[in-house]
Amino acid sequence: MTLFAPETQVRPVEPTRAVRYVLPLGIGIAATGIVGWVGPVGPLWGILVGLVTFGVFFWADITKHWIDAVILVVAGILGLSFFDWVLAARTGPVDFKLSLIAAIGWLIYGAATGFVVYRHRPGYRAGIIGFQALAWGGGATLALFTATTMGVLAPLNVRQIDAGEIQALTIGLFVVTGLAASGIGLGANVSFATRLPSLFAGGLVLVLTVMAYNEIQFSTAAIATQLTRVGEIVDDFWPPVWKWPKSVGQPETFNIVQPFIETFQIAIVGATIGNIFALPLAFYASRMTAPSNLAYRIAKGLLNVTRTIPDLVWGILFATAVGFGNPFAGALAMIMFSLTIMAKLLSETVDAIDIGPLEAGRASGATHTQVIQYAAFPQVRPNYVAYALYIFELNIRASVVIGFVGAGGIGRLLNERRNFFQWDQVMAIVIVIFVSVLLIEWLSIWARRKLV
Amino acid sequence: MGFIDFTNTSVTYPGGLVALKDVTLSIEEGEFVVVVGLSGAGKSTMLRAINGLVPVAGSVLVDGREVVGASQSELRAVRSDVGMIFQTFNLVNRSRVVNNALMGRLSKIPRWRSLLGLWPAEDKEIALQSLERVDIVEKAYIRASDLSGGQQQRVGIARALAQEPKIILADEPVASLDPVTSHMVMRDLQRINRELGITTLINLHFLDLARQYGKRLIGLNDGLVVFDGDIADVNDEVFRGIYGRAITPDDLLNEK
Amino acid sequence: MTVPDLTPDEKMEQFRPQEPLGPRIIRWVVGIAIVVPFIWAVIGLEISPERIWRAPSEIWVLLSGMFPPDFDDSGRIVAKLLESIYIAWIGTMMGAVFSFPLSFMAATNVAPRWMTIPTRAFLSAIRAFPELILAVILIVPFGLGPFTGALAIGLHSIGTLGKLSSEVIEGVDDGPIEAIRSAGGTLPLQMRYGIIPQAMPTIVAYWLYRFEINIRASAVLGLVGAGGIGADIVARLHFRADWPKAGAALLATIGVVLVIDAVSSSIRRRIITGQPSTSMLSKGMIAITGAGRPPSTELGA
Repeated sequence: MTLFAPETQVRPVEPTRAVRYVLPLGIGIAATGIVGWVGPVGPLWGILVGLVTFGVFFWADITKHWIDAVILVVAGILGLSFFDWVLAARTGPVDFKLSLIAAIGWLIYGAATGFVVYRHRPGYRAGIIGFQALAWGGGATLALFTATTMGVLAPLNVRQIDAGEIQALTIGLFVVTGLAASGIGLGANVSFATRLPSLFAGGLVLVLTVMAYNEIQFSTAAIATQLTRVGEIVDDFWPPVWKWPKSVGQPETFNIVQPFIETFQIAIVGATIGNIFALPLAFYASRMTAPSNLAYRIAKGLLNVTRTIPDLVWGILFATAVGFGNPFAGALAMIMFSLTIMAKLLSETVDAIDIGPLEAGRASGATHTQVIQYAAFPQVRPNYVAYALYIFELNIRASVVIGFVGAGGIGRLLNERRNFFQWDQVMAIVIVIFVSVLLIEWLSIWARRKLV
Repeated sequence: MGFIDFTNTSVTYPGGLVALKDVTLSIEEGEFVVVVGLSGAGKSTMLRAINGLVPVAGSVLVDGREVVGASQSELRAVRSDVGMIFQTFNLVNRSRVVNNALMGRLSKIPRWRSLLGLWPAEDKEIALQSLERVDIVEKAYIRASDLSGGQQQRVGIARALAQEPKIILADEPVASLDPVTSHMVMRDLQRINRELGITTLINLHFLDLARQYGKRLIGLNDGLVVFDGDIADVNDEVFRGIYGRAITPDDLLNEK
Repeated sequence: MTVPDLTPDEKMEQFRPQEPLGPRIIRWVVGIAIVVPFIWAVIGLEISPERIWRAPSEIWVLLSGMFPPDFDDSGRIVAKLLESIYIAWIGTMMGAVFSFPLSFMAATNVAPRWMTIPTRAFLSAIRAFPELILAVILIVPFGLGPFTGALAIGLHSIGTLGKLSSEVIEGVDDGPIEAIRSAGGTLPLQMRYGIIPQAMPTIVAYWLYRFEINIRASAVLGLVGAGGIGADIVARLHFRADWPKAGAALLATIGVVLVIDAVSSSIRRRIITGQPSTSMLSKGMIAITGAGRPPSTELGA
């Protein structure tokens, strides 16, 4: 069967897909790392890295001109010799400052790669050179700093290791730095040249994952071993113990009840006050209802900053301010926690209200507050109620753990029992937390469904 | 000097658009004025210059009070005497009808009362009376969104009446309504003007409605007043002057 | 009153309804349901007016103690912040990788009931443990350190991401799936060509969003010894002399979270809308590099 089409139709060229560049890019990144094995011979390393980059550029159709090979090799010799020299001449540990200085070498090299892309891809501004320099330099700094402060190469910073070990670690350092710098840098080069941002994102994700996996000492072996001794661990925790003496010599009592109630009280106070105080802030943080542009910017900025502070950090701050072990600190923390979430959710809802009634209110001579209260708030009232319930649920979850930082509630008890290694008592507390969080979640979902 | 005095009034929007150019005219107390013109001719702007909802320059005197350069509280005082009716009704849909009417009383009660929602009985009474005035009081405790378009516009009128205004500004009050309800709303407005003596300015798009209900007609074209006179003097030639073209069936409500 | 009396016959016609009682009763019930527990809680927590009165000055003492911040050991702050980011990153990766198949198993329009019900129960069970509690338990087998933190965050993320992703999968348009089925497509084909293209942008956006949340979570995991900046903030708040250093660590954390939020949300917007991002960040980048301008010669053309 043939489907016929009139001859006048033009078939467009299929747009280039990112997949096409994955292989050359992957080989290039791997090669840049591997040539680090040549060891601390900066100029030689520079030549090899320059040639590898040119190879990738050649394969990805960015350039086929020999001049570019020369540019890359020369920049590689300059940049990587500098890198090598900084590391060899160091007297102290590889700290953040030294990492930054050493990465200047990669910065120089990155600028050269940017220049090559700039030469061959019309439409770009010279700023791309700086961008490329930052990508290569940033990758190198990241690798250098994390690998030497907390990762596998950390022994480099210890004085009492022999020369052979230093030699081996330094080679490792070159390999890691090469991988990270080219992972982000080459990714950015090809990404710019082909206008496929996913290549840059892919390189960044790859480098971050590898670094993170190394630096936090992620170990599947540990998981496997621990899984084989699940029985022992369960023995520690099971069966849960519900009663224990408050202090030595006293009778056993249910000690969970009182802190549990306290947790609820903290959540209630936090949610109630936070939800009320969030109202003015939410209306100020929406362009629709802000009294002025300045007020809008201040409220929005305040919200953006306070939103970055996690619930437990609020807890630490208030516990420090008003006294450790004080549930009042927990309540204050929950107020701030609720306030920031509610204000954000509500202000985004207010952004979408109908502006007509507001104009009607203003036209009748009402004050700004009156307009907000009578024309804007009724429009978002159902959302407000739903958010308030949701925030109450979040508050219960958060106030469970807030006691860990000395802000009252069941978390304080959990932390205390944990410090005594009473795992069976910890289990009892965890079960209580688990059940109450589940119950509150179901209740909140049920109530919100009822409301709609 | 009249009740509302425009003297060299201009309105320039923040984007640089000049919507009203050097208008000078005067409106007497109790007049029923219809403003016509193409969309974008400055009709809405002219109404909003009276209660200071647009950035206005020159001079606008409303009942002896200057709108241009007035402070926020002075503006609120002017606006509290000026009721406004909108094309899209601008009701708070989720609120009950009576609460929408009560919005007209906001400028009349102390702020602490409005903040706590403690409405004085007499203000509630005024709101209910305004609803009676437009024949919608039986819907007082229903959500505004549950009413038909015509009923919603009557609530809009009631909200304006609840202000006990000296002036009513109606911005295309019938543009979102069908012909039958349009006539009902126009008759309501006419009756309010006649019986209560409230000075009324209405923006209209339909020429036949203007002819049927208006007394004085102001024609705007591109921000300029191109006609101002008795509606009886208006003929096709005048309309062509305002609209820049001959009348088409689109300009007539009853032809639709 | 200037609203004048109406003509008598009009008055006869009109019927003024009674204000209905229902809403009023609901208002009172809701009011009581809020006020009574609130008072109970305030009394239970022994919050006295005197305490409230004192709190602002106490908070002010802390704030003025933290400022100006002392950035002397910025190297350590950077290291610990990076550790927090790495913990969050691995946690998010774990969450994304494991929640993805689970979300299909929990979606009622893909999996049979006998599969969705236990999967959902499992997801909501692991979701019910806050990260910190998970970390406390996981420290027993895995010891102190960032690895434990990453596991705790990863586990919790599996629960939340699994739930959100399965909701996205359930919300996709049935039409394309039906079209594939009618063309003889098997279930895997329906998923690959019918569901994933529709659901993937939203799911990836959720991954990014979870990363933003995990950054905050990993910043506090240090409290129980599970790595990250949290332990440093707490330790420095214990002694008054260290408050400026605590201020530095806090400020650095806020800064990093702000930047990550901005980048992540602009990427999310791009993924969801498919439009180039209009954030300050990307505008700046386009202005500097010219990356947004259409190329004058297309590749391969």
